[in-house]
Parts: sequence; structure tokens; C-alpha cells
Amino acid sequence: MTALSPFDGSEVADPDRNQRLADLLLEVARTLDPGVATVLPSRLAEDPRLDAVRGVLLQKQLDVLARLQHTFDDPEKLAAAISEILPHALALSGARDERLGLVLAPTMERATEASIRKDPNTLVNILYPVMGPAIRKSISERLEDTLQGLNQALRFAFSWRGLRWRFEALRSGTSFGDVVLKHTLVFRVEHVFLIHRKAGLLLEHVAAPDAAARDPQLVSGMLTAIQDFVRDSFDEAGSTSASAIDSLRLGDLLLWCEAGPQAYLAAVIRGNPPESLRVTLRDTLADIHRELHGALADYNGDSTPLGDLATRLEPCLKKQVQAPVRKLTPIMWAFPLVLLAAVAYWWLGQYFENTRVAAYVDSLRQEPGIVVTGVERSGGAWHISGLRDPLAVRPADLLRRAKADPEHIDERWEPYVALNPTIVLRRLQASLPPLPGATLTRTGDTIRIQGGVPPDWIEKARALVRALPAGAPSVDLSGLTDVEDPEYVRLRESIQQVRVYFDSGAPDPSSGQEVALDQIAKETREILEVARRLGFSVRLAIVGHADSRGKQTTNLGLSIARAEVVRSLLRKRGVEPYLLSVRGTGTLEPLKEGEAPDDLSLNRCVTVTVVNVSE
Amino acid sequence: MMQKKICLLGAFGVGKTSLTRRFVDSIFSDAYLTTVGVKIDKKQLDVGPVAVSLVIWDIAGEDEVSAVRTSYLRGAAGYLLVIDVTRGQTLEVARSIQARVASEIGNIPFLCLLNKTDVPDWDIGAARIDALREEGWNVLRTSAKTGEGVEQAFVELAQRVLA
Repeated sequence: MTALSPFDGSEVADPDRNQRLADLLLEVARTLDPGVATVLPSRLAEDPRLDAVRGVLLQKQLDVLARLQHTFDDPEKLAAAISEILPHALALSGARDERLGLVLAPTMERATEASIRKDPNTLVNILYPVMGPAIRKSISERLEDTLQGLNQALRFAFSWRGLRWRFEALRSGTSFGDVVLKHTLVFRVEHVFLIHRKAGLLLEHVAAPDAAARDPQLVSGMLTAIQDFVRDSFDEAGSTSASAIDSLRLGDLLLWCEAGPQAYLAAVIRGNPPESLRVTLRDTLADIHRELHGALADYNGDSTPLGDLATRLEPCLKKQVQAPVRKLTPIMWAFPLVLLAAVAYWWLGQYFENTRVAAYVDSLRQEPGIVVTGVERSGGAWHISGLRDPLAVRPADLLRRAKADPEHIDERWEPYVALNPTIVLRRLQASLPPLPGATLTRTGDTIRIQGGVPPDWIEKARALVRALPAGAPSVDLSGLTDVEDPEYVRLRESIQQVRVYFDSGAPDPSSGQEVALDQIAKETREILEVARRLGFSVRLAIVGHADSRGKQTTNLGLSIARAEVVRSLLRKRGVEPYLLSVRGTGTLEPLKEGEAPDDLSLNRCVTVTVVNVSE
Repeated sequence: MMQKKICLLGAFGVGKTSLTRRFVDSIFSDAYLTTVGVKIDKKQLDVGPVAVSLVIWDIAGEDEVSAVRTSYLRGAAGYLLVIDVTRGQTLEVARSIQARVASEIGNIPFLCLLNKTDVPDWDIGAARIDALREEGWNVLRTSAKTGEGVEQAFVELAQRVLA
């Protein structure tokens, strides 16, 4: 711009020249502003000296302007001119503030996107030198982590502890390898140093509560020196500023280092840490660099601008301790023992109870006249249901025999008639009155009734057999023989031989007939008892007679009256009236034919006939 | 607390380690000097209101066989360049070291310590010392045996690096 100044250069401006220049400029002003020209008469149009003056005074500026115009008009030259100052301009803008980055970011993003869309390999080739090692390192660490888990898993796969951990993995839903690592990777991060990479100065140090601590400043310096020593000694050619010792192990102590651009983390670990700890260290270091990049770059030995680094490092002080083996107190082992005994007692009780119930159900199923249709257990009780003939054995008896607890058994039996031979036999035995001479037996599916029995008993047996439903077992009655009871026969004959005599024309017994009446009453009671024992009953038919003297009709009425009187007298002697029936024969059934006084006297009487009645 | 990395440099046997042994805090044995080539010590002092912790890298001496590892110099805020006044050639070694340090990490504050001043037979004349001063070196006289100038050397260097 100095070339444009009319006051620069070797020429010295004199007053006359300046006056001329002022006049000239006034003319220029008039040219630019016609209004001026109207006020002051312009000399431009008529003064050709003006062009000459312009040529003399502004030739340099006009040349510069021409060159600049030419540069602007020619894209190649304009690009070349800008390219010379662009890097410097960008650097100045970037150093001044972030506006340049913000302005360029969208353009850069679009350019990157377009480049990837056009040819992804370009970006791959650019990133390969950076991403390749990072990916290899990540894969390597992942493999180490996996191998670590695999080694530990194989080591404990078939041990007792392995089985327990396998169960724990099943229960918690995690992999067996993770559970093994959890139990075997016992470690503790004792110290974490954050060290400035360039100076080896300690930025921050945190330690586990009871970790033995030497001077952390000296330790961090020595760590840095050793790193430098190793780098210089063994990796001089290929070393970079970012490379650092990864890990060092001395006995149980392990040193892990994670290096960043400005600082590195060194963790002193006792034991066998998982690879995930590395991730923690790396993330912590990355966070510190991201948030304190400027402060770390400008570090001059004063840690104050870095803020509270200890809080950032403390999460790295991880540890995993082995669960202590607790010694069992008597209470602790007695309790499970008692619990185990109680469970065993309960289980055994259940087992034996179930066995007894099963035996009971089996016995029910084998019992004739019982059909078990359902057995189930719910609500702590057994529920047994089925059909039962009333003549079948009582379930309670079987239950008692099986020694099962009736409180735990709920039974529901519906009655039915069984056609099982055993039950039919029982039914016949229950229906027929027992007789000493009668026997009821079963041979296979056939029931046999044998022996000498009264005829009415035989009749009753036949009636029962006839009443059996179709499909019932056959009953053989061929072995029965008709045999009357001698006591019954004696009493029947005795009663039937008794005569109650009457005087002629009289309805009341003659004097002295009370003995006969008493005998009839007494033997009636006895024969009733015998008949009941034999399974039937008897009735007494009181038959009145009359002699042949007098009218027939009168004699018939007299005979009926005599029978009624005897019945009345028997009732008075305790014979139930329903046992007694009355009939008058008049002269139609004389006990002795003839007209002699004795014959007539014999026919004036009442006789008693014993009649069998089936019950 | 302000920390500064200080290097202790000089030819082999000039008494660097002796200078630090009595006047600084140390937890490492001298064996590190012969193995790793450096030993880290610490000196805490107050420079006016500022508490400073000088982390001293006692770097193994340079001789015909081994040279100072320049990687140990990285990040140093200043250094003490020790010369044995009874051995004149240690001054030349010191010159060599100083030149190398300047080329490696730039012109940072340093003090030249003329050590073993308690020994009467000096091998370095006043002219040579004056020449050093004329070159802009700050020269101090020290004796690890008597303690002369040692504390002053650390304080002075601390002042320079904090300036």
C-alpha cells in the first residue's frame, strides 16, 4: 500500500505542487458529485491537462490496480495468491478463537461424507495408520481377557468349587467364565500415579488406605526414568512419544501403565487383575486429557490449574477380595442340621404315609364289592372315591389294618349292588335266617345252599334266588331237603289236640276249661318263639263247633260265638289278637259223628289250628 | 506445591551424588546410577512465599565410554553442571554437556558448580573460571565434604527456574 501513497518515495512535496494536487482533487470531486460541479464551474471537460496530470500522478496506483484487477479476473492467479496466505490466515484465526473451526465443521463433514460415498477406500487408507494399531490393540486385549477367562474356567471346570460356581452362574444368569474370574481374580489397586509425560513430575497420586507408600514424587520420577531407559535401550529406532511400558510384574506386584499424549497413568496392583481394569484406567486417562488438555499442555510444575485430580483417580482404586472363609459356629451348623433333620423327618413321614395309603388303596381295589374310581392328593390330604356295596367290607377296617392316618384321608363312597359271588353269598346269608342245618358256600362263581331246613325256609331261599338280577352268579338249591323242627311239631300237635268244651247251648266254656285255655296260651307263646327262631311265624285259627241238636243256623251262630269267646279268653291270657282268627263251623265239622250224649258233648267244643305264616 | 525437574550433570566422579547425598531426600540406592543411569532425589525449599519441590535427576556422569542420556533431560526446568576443580578436564566435559543440553532442550537456567573446593590442589585456574563467567555462566563454589555452597546452589537454581 505504500506504493499508493503520493507522499512516499524519494520525491519531496513542495507547496506549489500540493496546491496543484488540491486543485486536481477538487476537480475529481466535482467529477464524482455533479452537484459540486453545478456550484463550481468544472474545468474538466475543457481542460485536457487533467488527463496528463492524472497520468503523471496516479500512474503507479493505476498500474497496481490493473495488476490486482488482472489477478481477480484470472481464477488461477487468484487461487495462487490466496494459497500463499491461506495457511497463515487459518493459523491466525485458529489461534485467536474457535470461530474458524465452527465455520469449517459443516463443510468438513459434508466433504468427508461425500468422500466416503465416492470412494470409502480413501478414508480407510487415511485412517489405517491410526485405526490399525488401535484395533489390533483392542482385539489383543479382548483376546487376552477371553483367554484369561478360558484359562481360569478350564482350571476349575471339574473341581468341587467349579461345580458350585457353575450353579452360581446358572442362578445369576452370567457365564461360567465370569463367575470363575470373579472368584479367582483377587487383586487390589494400591497406588495410582498420574505423571506428566514430559517432565516425569507427579501430577497426582492416590493410594489404597493401608497401602505402603514411599515418596510418590520420587517414585513417579523413577518410573519415568525407567520408561526412558527401556525405550532408549531396546526400542530406540521404533520408539514414539506415545509408546510406554505396558506392564511390569514383580512377584505379586504388577505395574500397569496407560500412556496419553500429555500424561500417563501408572497403577500398582497387588494380585491378578482382570483386563477390565485396563479399560477403567484408559477411560480415566482419556477423560483427564479431554477435559484438561490445555492445562496439561501448559503444565509448568504447578498442579493448581489441573483442579481436583484425586477425585478423578479414586475410581481406579479398585479391588476384588476373596470372600473370607467363615468359620461355622455351633449355632450356624446346628441350625441347618436341625433343619435338615426336620426336613428328613417330614420327608420320611410323607414317604411312609404315602406307602400306607397306597397299600390301603390296593387293599380296597382287591376287596369284592368295592370299586375305587378316584385317588388324588390335594391340600395335604388324600381324596378317595368310588362305589361300595353295603355288604362289602368296611373301608375303615381296611384303613385300620393299613395303619394309615384317617385324618389325612377323605373318602366318598356311593352305594351300589354288587354281583360279585362273594357279595351275593353274603347277601343270601344276610337275607336267610341262619339254621344249624343249612350251609351256604361258594365254589368258583356258583353258590351252593345245602342242608335239611323247614319248607318255608326253602321257599324263602327260592324267592331270594328268583329276585337276583340278571348276570348274578348261579345259586344251586338242589342240596336242600325239607325237614320240620321237632319242637315245633310237638307244640303244634299239642295245641291242636287241646279241646275247650261247652255246655249245651252255652257260648261260654264249661267250668274247668281254664286249664285247657291256659295250655293253649302257654304253648302258643312257645310255638311263636320256635317259629321265630326258624324264620317264620304262626297264626292260630280258632274253630267253634256245635252239636247236632237244634237248628243249623242257631248252631252256626253258637259255634262262632264260642270261638269268639275263646279268642277273648286267649287275649286275656296274653295272646296277641292279630295272631288269632275265628271261624264257626256249626254242625258241619263234627269231631265225632253220632247222637249219643258223649258224641254230642265232644262236638260242643272249640279247637285251635296252627297255621304257618312266612315273614 | 510447585514442582520442578532439575538435572544434575557433570563428568564422571565430579561429586554429583555426594552433593545430593547429604542435602536431599532420597529413597533409592546409588545402584540405580550404574544400572538405569539415573537416580531420582528430592529437595524441598521455600523461595520467598513459594514452596518448591525440586525433583533432582542425578544423571550418571559422562566419560569416554558413556554419554548422558538426553531423554533424561526432557522436561527439565534447570540443571546443575558440576565440575571437579581438581580435574581440569571435567570443565571441558561440562562445556560439552552444556552445549548438548542447549541443543536438545534449549537454553534453560543452570548453575555451574565448582565442586571439591575444600581440596587445596586445584587444577583449574582463575582465568578459566573467569572465562566461564564471561560466557555468561553462573559459577558457584561448592564442597560436598564441608557443605559449602550446596544449599545456596539449590536455592539459587530454584530462584532462577521460578523467575
